[in-house]
Amino acid sequence: MSKTPAILLSAASLLCATIVSLGVHAKPVSAHMQEPNLQRDTQAPSTNRSHVFLGLGREPDAAAAKRGGPLYKQNCSACHGESARGGIGPNLVRSVLVLHDDSDEEISRVIEKGRAGTSMPPFPSLSATDRRDIAEYLHWEIEQAANRGLYKNADTMSSGDAEKGKSFFAANCANCHSTTGDLAHIATKYPQPAAMLARIAWPTSRMAPRQATVTTPDGQKLTGTLAHYDDFETTLKAGDGKTTTWATDTVNVDISDKLAGHRALLPKYSDDDLHNLTRYLLTLK
Amino acid sequence: MKLTRLRSLALAALLSAPALAVQSLAAQTLDPKTLTLFHQPADVWPTYHGDYSGRRFSEITQINQKNIAQLKTKWKYKITGIPPLRGSGPLVIKSTPLMVDGVLYFTIPDHVFAVDARTGKEKWRFDFEDHGGHVLGQRGVGMYGKWIYFLTPDGWFISLDSATGKERWRKKVADEKLQYFTTMAAVIVKNHVIIGIGGDAMDVRGYLESRDPETGELQWQWWAEPLKMGDPGSETWPNQAAMDHGGGMTWLPGTYDPELNLIYWGTGNTNPVFAGQGRKGANLYTDSIVALNPDTGKLAWYFQASPHDTHDWDNVETPVLFDMEIDGKPRKLLAQAARCGYFFVLDRTNGKYLVSKPFTKTANWAKGIDERGQPIPDPGKEPHVDGSMVDIATGGATNWPPPSYSPQTQLFYVNASEGYSVAYLYDTSSDPQGYGGGSSGWFDPASSLIALDVKTGDVKWKHTAKGLGGEGGMSGGILTTGGGLLFTGDSRRLAAFDSANGKILWSEKLDSSMSNGPSTWVLDGKQNVIVGAGDTLYALTLDGK
Repeated sequence: MSKTPAILLSAASLLCATIVSLGVHAKPVSAHMQEPNLQRDTQAPSTNRSHVFLGLGREPDAAAAKRGGPLYKQNCSACHGESARGGIGPNLVRSVLVLHDDSDEEISRVIEKGRAGTSMPPFPSLSATDRRDIAEYLHWEIEQAANRGLYKNADTMSSGDAEKGKSFFAANCANCHSTTGDLAHIATKYPQPAAMLARIAWPTSRMAPRQATVTTPDGQKLTGTLAHYDDFETTLKAGDGKTTTWATDTVNVDISDKLAGHRALLPKYSDDDLHNLTRYLLTLK
Repeated sequence: MKLTRLRSLALAALLSAPALAVQSLAAQTLDPKTLTLFHQPADVWPTYHGDYSGRRFSEITQINQKNIAQLKTKWKYKITGIPPLRGSGPLVIKSTPLMVDGVLYFTIPDHVFAVDARTGKEKWRFDFEDHGGHVLGQRGVGMYGKWIYFLTPDGWFISLDSATGKERWRKKVADEKLQYFTTMAAVIVKNHVIIGIGGDAMDVRGYLESRDPETGELQWQWWAEPLKMGDPGSETWPNQAAMDHGGGMTWLPGTYDPELNLIYWGTGNTNPVFAGQGRKGANLYTDSIVALNPDTGKLAWYFQASPHDTHDWDNVETPVLFDMEIDGKPRKLLAQAARCGYFFVLDRTNGKYLVSKPFTKTANWAKGIDERGQPIPDPGKEPHVDGSMVDIATGGATNWPPPSYSPQTQLFYVNASEGYSVAYLYDTSSDPQGYGGGSSGWFDPASSLIALDVKTGDVKWKHTAKGLGGEGGMSGGILTTGGGLLFTGDSRRLAAFDSANGKILWSEKLDSSMSNGPSTWVLDGKQNVIVGAGDTLYALTLDGK
């Protein structure tokens, strides 16, 4: 489950990842790497960390890029596109020359002198500082594309229909949930649509302690919280705080499934249902 | 110069590598005869998968269902003196160690280790300082004669002397400035060192290349996209620029059939990863299984697992080769459990499919399969600005950890991740760059070991791990053996299952979750099982002797 290292991680592979789903934070998402990263990581995501992790080299000079943006728009965007993604001139975000030019010297030279045999004209009136600022703006645009740690979900939802969401809720959710009870003001807690949607789909972002009844080999029943549970060992913390551990294959463990309703809905939702429902719950401010 | 040995080498090898043929097979020299399709010798683990088939099945029966209770750790080798890797935290062994003449060779990013297979004592270590690239993982080394081949995060291809760890030469094979990086274990086929690459942050072309084992010079390169409009496959792309930035990385070791003289490789996801609007079409040969001639790099056939992928479903998972009788006829087959959630069984002579079926949930991103058995993606399930849910967990239904096929049970085994995730589109422009979106979520999560019937694709049995999250779940790759055993990681343990029915027969606690593909071999008459978990390599034998 690949994410920026800040993101997900698991013991040995996606196969048992502890999900710290960024989808429920203001800053998703998964910089999906080519493979799951293995170690658990509790640090908060930082854009710098994802930059370092991705091996993106020198970070662009933000102040220079900020100055370079308007200069780029004025002098370059007619050919290279609004955000350097190309037009009648080449895409500069994917330009090998730009990607390689850590010192900004090559980019500066091309701006100053133009490129013979192409439509790229010289810009002799731009100062060395201007040229460097434009180069830094290009590196900044590359950073926006290449550094997945900077990606953000939208703050508003463009599709979905709150009225339809309301009827879906009445038909499928109202047995367990109430918009004036447990879900009152839920939109203040999850104002971002993606976070709300994730919460609707599966309202647990990490393994919350599970309540269970353990039937021991001699028929005794003990109820409490599962402190540990896997294919080999079961540890139950009883109400009095006492913990007991058994070999899992010697006991019967009955876990109360609080999420059965959510589990049953997952295969049934259309994306429209999810958008409608999200839209509706976002009105519960 | 024994003629029999020479016969096993291609003519090309004779011309470029006489050195190997005349070497006496001294210590730590890999006899090319040990590289076989099936039935590798018991006293060697000569390549990432153990043999060319990728079955990860060992015929050794010394450790078996009757005595598995006696299996104990014989030694541990813990990596020391290396700080956490740049941006990626603790050290994790993902490589499958080679074992040649009593020495194990394994890696983490930037480092190669040679360890005495009898004692776990370090023989030598090779340390490299990278200047970029991802330090996400390193699958291990390749070996040819007495030479070791290693790939670094920033695209250096390095040859080392297996006796000393001393560098012989290095060649640049990938440009980290374009966000390429290299993590794979090179695969040696005749006199070809076959190298794949990774990297999809900045929309570059995937490629696979072959290099000369003596000089490191390029022999051929195969690109994951057609080179120009008009070439076969270009009809699945809108224009040249989309092809030039189409991705399709080749970052896991493939497999090889010496008789058919074809290598089988999986290609990674299409780029831009989540934003498909600038690359309408199926986008060949990304997300495919390709069969190539190892001498020329020419494509013999392809099968696309995830046409027009918009979910980061690299199709690099091992294309496992096996032979079997079907309707009374012997068949040469290939099976893959793909990250997109489908299980494929193909005829490896021509790519025609026998099985194409989801192996976790319904694979609701596909509307069914076409006449070639390739899934048909539902455009409605592409990433959406407001999210679009698929019944595949983020990261895919399975991933890089190696699967296994046992000829004993005729079952294919894979560790799977089951659940739902939501894919978002961020870059809505007509010409997106970078990932352009993302995926999140593991709703209704389950981690399972699945045994699939290769004739039908049906689930023969499934073991769903009881533990989830930080405390449990399946981990690492799979090894099956002639002793009726299946080894894999489960909840911070190495576990042995009955390969016929999925019953747990034995387990041993490790210091962290198993993180590589288990391997096994016999040395001094003792069968060893080797696993990596975090920063530690373990050797297990009967009674730990």
